[in-house]
Amino acid sequence: MAVSFPSTDYFEALKAQMVAAQEHFSRLGFIDTTFAVSVANNGKSHHYVLEFEVFELKNVSEVPAVDLKKVDFSIEGDTKVWREMIENIKRNGQADTHHDINTLAHFGEQLKIKYDDPDGHDKLYRFMESIQEFFDLSSKLEVSFN
Amino acid sequence: MAFYAYKDYTEDQKVLEAMQSVMAGNLGLHWFNANTEKFKGHASDPNRGLTYDDLNHGTYGYSDLPEHLRTSQSMVARGSDKSGKLPDMGYVVNRKSDVWSDNVSELYEETKARRWAPATDIPWAALGEKPLSETIEIACAQLYTFLQECEAVSLDFPSRWVALVNQDFIEQKSFMCGQMLDASRLLEVFRKRALYGGAGLKRANVNAEQGLKEWLWAETYPQGSLSINLALSGMLLAIFRHVAAFAPSVTDRAIMRKAMQDRGRWVSYGTGALRYHLEHQPGQRVALHEYLDESEHVMLGIIGSAEFLEPLIIIAGGGLDKDQVKTGRVAVAKLIKLMMREYFARLDYAGLGGRTERSRLPQVMERVQVA
Amino acid sequence: MAYLATHDYLEDKNFVDKWLYTMRTGEMDLSWMNAKTEKIMPRPQNARRGLTYRDLDVGSYGFTEVPEKVRDNRSYAPRGAEIPEGVPDAQPWVSRKSELWAFNTESYYEEAVSRQWNATTDIPWDRLEGVEMPEATGKALSQLMTFLTEVEMIATDTPAMWLPRLNPDFIEVKAFIASQAMDEARHAEVFRKRALTTGWGLMAASPMNEMALKHLRDADSFSEMSVALHLVAEGNVLTMFRFSEYLSPTDVDKKIFRLVMQDEARHVGYGMQHFKYVLENFPEKREVLHAHLDEAENISFAGAAATEVTESFIILAGGGMKKENIEEGIKVTTQFNLKQMHEHFERLEKCGMPERKDPKRSKLYAMFLQGKADAEAHGITF
Repeated sequence: MAVSFPSTDYFEALKAQMVAAQEHFSRLGFIDTTFAVSVANNGKSHHYVLEFEVFELKNVSEVPAVDLKKVDFSIEGDTKVWREMIENIKRNGQADTHHDINTLAHFGEQLKIKYDDPDGHDKLYRFMESIQEFFDLSSKLEVSFN
Repeated sequence: MAFYAYKDYTEDQKVLEAMQSVMAGNLGLHWFNANTEKFKGHASDPNRGLTYDDLNHGTYGYSDLPEHLRTSQSMVARGSDKSGKLPDMGYVVNRKSDVWSDNVSELYEETKARRWAPATDIPWAALGEKPLSETIEIACAQLYTFLQECEAVSLDFPSRWVALVNQDFIEQKSFMCGQMLDASRLLEVFRKRALYGGAGLKRANVNAEQGLKEWLWAETYPQGSLSINLALSGMLLAIFRHVAAFAPSVTDRAIMRKAMQDRGRWVSYGTGALRYHLEHQPGQRVALHEYLDESEHVMLGIIGSAEFLEPLIIIAGGGLDKDQVKTGRVAVAKLIKLMMREYFARLDYAGLGGRTERSRLPQVMERVQVA
Repeated sequence: MAYLATHDYLEDKNFVDKWLYTMRTGEMDLSWMNAKTEKIMPRPQNARRGLTYRDLDVGSYGFTEVPEKVRDNRSYAPRGAEIPEGVPDAQPWVSRKSELWAFNTESYYEEAVSRQWNATTDIPWDRLEGVEMPEATGKALSQLMTFLTEVEMIATDTPAMWLPRLNPDFIEVKAFIASQAMDEARHAEVFRKRALTTGWGLMAASPMNEMALKHLRDADSFSEMSVALHLVAEGNVLTMFRFSEYLSPTDVDKKIFRLVMQDEARHVGYGMQHFKYVLENFPEKREVLHAHLDEAENISFAGAAATEVTESFIILAGGGMKKENIEEGIKVTTQFNLKQMHEHFERLEKCGMPERKDPKRSKLYAMFLQGKADAEAHGITF
């Protein structure tokens, strides 16, 4: 059954996949970060807060707006960019170099990273592998786009 | 340099008699009622295991460490019963705010949890199956030659200081050990990558090395940490992200992803340590500004060196033809701006604000143009 | 006191102008592309082992071809790179291979990296919940752990002090030392954690052993440091870990000692191989090392005389403090002490210093012979 993007169902589905791959994620190491994902579409945005702790995604919530003081960082982008990334993951089993979070966010031209403090920002890089592999779990889902 | 014990124990009658007495069954048991806190630690989160934070309790913990360590110059474990004649190990870093960061214990745990092995965790065969063009491979070889130089210096920094840091800062020293292994592992993976591609190593970078030595040989630990953990590591983190974004192969992307994780921890520590330092020694703000006035030029020494700049242009642009070089230059110009922005933001966050107005860097960096 | 680079790059107009010109026009120097370096194509000899330093031991990049005296590189340039004029001097104190080399160093390092374990998650701490040991053995265990956590970090501090003094061409040795630093931090951590999960907290410091640590720290040369640390001290500690595993009161303690002994065996392995190498390749060092061993053995003996360690060992070995426990404990501890000394001299002999097994040469050997005779007289063999 397809999950819709963006939605909490999508992130909950990724969470379930992450639990199933616990051994792999344990080997990658602790992931202790809370970050937001914002998806914009025609002037409106959906915002989700993902709380990771130890080796798992503990909580997903949709919020009306992102309070940068309450998250380590936020990844913002237009729905077109997110869709292209997820479709790329589905085709290849994982994001290729042109479609991974780091590349898309590098110059802030496709995805923007926003943060209140630089230390929170640096957590994106400290946990990059785990974060990317979390999104790469999309390859196991059927995703429909709103 | 050699230290000689207070006596020749093999000829000391008192020592021999004490040993013989014990081995005859007469236990003195002076330690049995040691004057220490009774405590049983538990893992607060069984999934996470038993961390140093779980043991941050009373006399054993780091929270209660005083700012000035005056009574402990030996390797006696923090919180144990110190009695008897103890030698002086010669520590010169005895102020908590000279080394501490509030996140150091967490970063040490993360270092251990996120360990990896270059020999087996990098998909080397992928590069063998799809080799790069000669031009790109040579550019990679030069970049990875330069990165080995950075890691050699990074390895030396915690090594120079760890034995001089008071043993009571055990969590901090443990993190420094993690840094040593991080740097060693990154040097290893960069060397392996440089050689695997078949172009051999390239040229050492005179300007970068001169600057790196200046940073490495800083007079104090806080200065050196600012340079190596914050400035250099911040630059390297940006470079790793950049190379990952323009990675010419799956192998390079995998390497850079691991590298950025390791280096991100150094930056977090460096920023946190500067912040802690300035919160507790606000007078150092002036001294560190003056230090940066003198030492920031090293950033340009690195960024402006041909052995750093040109391979990055080629990798980002994808080659040496005119359009590719232009694309590469545009990307590197953005990288330089990103490095500067993040550098000043970290300083600001750590309490060394006003640097943008004071530093000589912006007026030079602003002159970068790509025609 | 600080070093200053040969240029202030922000004030160097030529440097700045050249950089800005490159960025603006795309005209690049590119001379580095023709660096006069060797081209090799290393591949993993064993696919399961991955790409190792041994696979890179080819030509000018390899460790085999590093000469006895490194004359052409004192900078941070990686071994085999082209080294232009103007690189800084890293001020290495040790540029002589036989001062630090050991056969198999690169393998010890690769093994260390692949066998890193985590004291936080790889020890089943939860199995200690509800475990209450009797006071005697609980305190004895805590005392042993207090001693071990106290001494472990010397094997970080001491080699780490030497690391930046080693010529950067000795990549594999520096890497090994970095891995040792991490191993020892982990050991200090696991022993501290174990002491603080007994319910008794830490116990008493060990002044006699602190002196040993000071001696290890303040050696005149890398070889002297290595002999005292890797061979003597860690050799003794390795024997202690083996005995401690045998005496462990819980399976958690057994696991701890099994893991630490793996790491320690690597360090001793390096120490033995280095000792062998220096005696074979730098024979003038023999008497210097003898002199250093005289003091290292004095201090090793002092460590054995540290009653807080010996007594806690006796109690653990005997399983308590009743008369019969103490008697059994003394027997096991005697065997342990003799084994430690025996293995120490065995290592020296295997590495090329058999003459140390002479009571006229080594006071510790004289003590060993005396101790062995006394033990045999009491019906204790080892």
